[in-house]
Amino acid sequence: MSGARNEILAAAGGASTDPAAIAAAAARLLDRVPGLRPDRVSGRPADAFLLRASSPAMGATAERVASLADFPAAVRRYLAAWTLAPALALQPHPALRALDWTGIEIHEAIGLDEPVAAGLALGGIAETGSLVFHSGPDAPTLFGFLPVHHIVAVEADRIWPWLEDYAAAFAPASQPRNVNLITGASGTTDIEGALVRGAHGPGHLHIVLVDPDPAPPHPDFPATTIAKSI
Amino acid sequence: MTTTAFTVRADRALADPQLKLAIERTTGTARTKRAAAVAAWPEFAAARMLGKDIKDHVIAHLGHYLAEFERNALASGAKVHWARNAREACDIVVSICRDAGARSVTRAKSMLGEEIGLPHALADAGIERVETDLAEHIIQLAGDPPSHIVWPALHKTREQVGELFRAHHRDPGAMATVEAMVASARRHLRGRFMAADVGISGANFLIADSGAVCTVTNEGNAELTTTPPRVHIVTAGIEKLVPSTAHAMSLLRLLVRSATGAELTQYTTFHRGPKRAGDPDGPSEFHIVLVDNGRTRMLTDGLADMLRCLRCGACLNHCVVFRQIGGHAYGGTYPGPMGAVLTPVLDGLPLSQDLPRACTLNGQCQEVCPVAIPLPTLLRGWRDRSWREGLEPVSVRGFLGIWRFLVLHPALYRLATAAALPAMRLFGRGGWIGWMPLAGGWTRHRDLPQPSGRSFMAQTRNRKPSA
Repeated sequence: MSGARNEILAAAGGASTDPAAIAAAAARLLDRVPGLRPDRVSGRPADAFLLRASSPAMGATAERVASLADFPAAVRRYLAAWTLAPALALQPHPALRALDWTGIEIHEAIGLDEPVAAGLALGGIAETGSLVFHSGPDAPTLFGFLPVHHIVAVEADRIWPWLEDYAAAFAPASQPRNVNLITGASGTTDIEGALVRGAHGPGHLHIVLVDPDPAPPHPDFPATTIAKSI
Repeated sequence: MTTTAFTVRADRALADPQLKLAIERTTGTARTKRAAAVAAWPEFAAARMLGKDIKDHVIAHLGHYLAEFERNALASGAKVHWARNAREACDIVVSICRDAGARSVTRAKSMLGEEIGLPHALADAGIERVETDLAEHIIQLAGDPPSHIVWPALHKTREQVGELFRAHHRDPGAMATVEAMVASARRHLRGRFMAADVGISGANFLIADSGAVCTVTNEGNAELTTTPPRVHIVTAGIEKLVPSTAHAMSLLRLLVRSATGAELTQYTTFHRGPKRAGDPDGPSEFHIVLVDNGRTRMLTDGLADMLRCLRCGACLNHCVVFRQIGGHAYGGTYPGPMGAVLTPVLDGLPLSQDLPRACTLNGQCQEVCPVAIPLPTLLRGWRDRSWREGLEPVSVRGFLGIWRFLVLHPALYRLATAAALPAMRLFGRGGWIGWMPLAGGWTRHRDLPQPSGRSFMAQTRNRKPSA
C-alpha cells in the first residue's frame, strides 16, 4: 500500500513549507482562543466545576467532601438513597484500596451489568463539568462504561479551568491508550429526539469533589449533599 | 419537470405524512437547542471564524499533517494504512478482520464507513456486523440506510421502532415508552460488545502531534466497541486532521453545540495506540485506515472549503428542503446541503445533478455552519458545471432557452407576463392555485399563490419617483 500512501501524500500537497513556519502558524491560531471561549469559568475552578457538574442538563449529581477518607461514607449515603445493595466494583487504584470500605462488599473485576462502580478520576474540567480518566493499570477504561451507577471521586486541586488547560498538562507522547472525558451520564436522543439516560454507558453519574479547603459557599450551589435528583 | 430517480424519491417522501412528522420532531428539537447554545455564547461568531481558520490551516498543509500524524501514530504502536478509494479501504478492513480470524465485529457509527460501503463489504466477506449506536441498530434491523448524519434513524417514529424491537429482540418487554425501547436495545447489545473479535469506529478528529484518534458519542457505545475486542480498526477521512489536542478543543466546542446544543458530548475519547503493558483492558492491535476517496481531488476542484466540514448536521436541520423530503430522497450517503455538495464528488455529477438544484439558495445552511462553509456557492458551482457539461435535462435547457430569449427582448417579455397573469388567475380559487398546466411539479404537493393584479413592471411604471 506504499503506492497509495505516496500518491495521497503527493496529492495532498502542502508538505514543502518549512515545518517550523507551519508550527508557528498553528500556535498563532491558539493565541485567539482565550478571548472567545464561552464564559463558564469564573472564580475558583473547583467551584465552577461543581456548579457545572451538577447542572440539570448534565444528568449527573454532585457533592463536596473534605477528604478522600470521606469518600466511602459518601458512597454509602448514595447506595442508601437509591436502596442499592452494599456491593460495588472498585477501580483498582491504590488510593481507593487504602480507604475503609467497611460494610460494602468490594470487588475489582467489573461485570457486564455491574450495578455500581466507584472510581477516582485523574481530574476534572471546570468549563464543561467533565471528568478526566487516563487508562492504565489503576484505571481500566471499561469502569466508566459498564456500570449502571458510576460514583467518582475527583480532587479539587486537579480541576483544570478550560479544556485547553487539560490539553496543555500532558505531553502528546505521554498520552495513554485512552483519554476519556466523561461529561454527565450516558444518554441518547436517537428515537424522535427524546432524551433517555443510560443508553449503553452508566445511566447515573455521581461526582464527589474532594475539597479540603473550600471557598466560602458558592451562592448558586448549596453545600449540602445532592442525592437522587435524576 | 423531468422524472428522475431523485424526483421519484422526493415525491414518495412528500406523500408520507409520518415521515414529515418524524423529521420535524427531531430537527425541531435540534434547531431549538442549537439556537439556545449559540445565544449563550456571545463570542460564537469569532469562535466560528477560528474554527474555519484551523481547518483551512490544516487543509493548506494537509501533506505535512498527514505525515506527522502517521509518524506519531506509528510511534504509539498503531498500524497505519492508506486507501485511495472506497474499495481499497474496504479491502484493508476486511483483510485485517480475516487476519484476526474475526467472525463478529461491532461497529460504532461512522459516516465514513457508510461512505465506503463497509457494511456491504463485511457482509460479502461473511463477517457478522453488529451496529452499536442505537440509531444504527434500529436501521440495521430495518434494513434501511441512514437518513441523517447525526440521527440516522430520524425517519422512524417511536411506534415503528417499537415494532422492530418486538420482532427482533429476544427479550423486548412492553415497548410502551422510549425508555423501554432504549433499555431493550441495551440488553440486546450488551453481550455482543464483549463477544466481538474486532471493533470498528470512525474518527471525529485525528490529532497530528500525538497520533491519537478522537471520537465523540453520547451513548458510550464507541468505547464499548473499541475496548473489549482484541482488534480496534479506525476508518477516517484524511480531512479529519487537526494539529493538536488543543486545536481539537476549539472545534469540539463548535461541533457539539451545532449538532445537539450541548456544551460537550457525554463521552469525548482519545484513542492512542493499542493497550499498554499492564493495562487491564483495551485492544492489543490498533489499526488506522486513512481514506482519500475523492478528498485530494476536492482540493484541486474548487471544493477545498467543503473539507472543513465537521459533520455536525446543522445544515440538514435548518434546510427547508431536507425538512420536507428527509435524507433518503437524496440517494447518497450524505443528505441535505452538505450531501448535495459531496454526493457529486462521490457518485459523479451525472448521477447526482438533481441534488445541487434541490435547494432554494436561502443561505440558512451557510449561516448555521460552524466552520462557515459557503454551501450555496458550492452548490451553484455544481449547477454551473452541470450546465457546462450538458447534464441538465432537455426540458430545463429548453425552458431556460425560452426564458433567455424573452428577457433579452423586453417587449416580448412584458407581453408574455401580461398574458400569463390573467391566465394564472383563471386557475386560482380563494387566492391559491391548486392545479395549472406546466406547474404540476409545484402544485402536486402545495398550492401556488395566485398572482396579484398587475406585474411588478406595470406597478413600477406608474409609480412616481420618490423625493
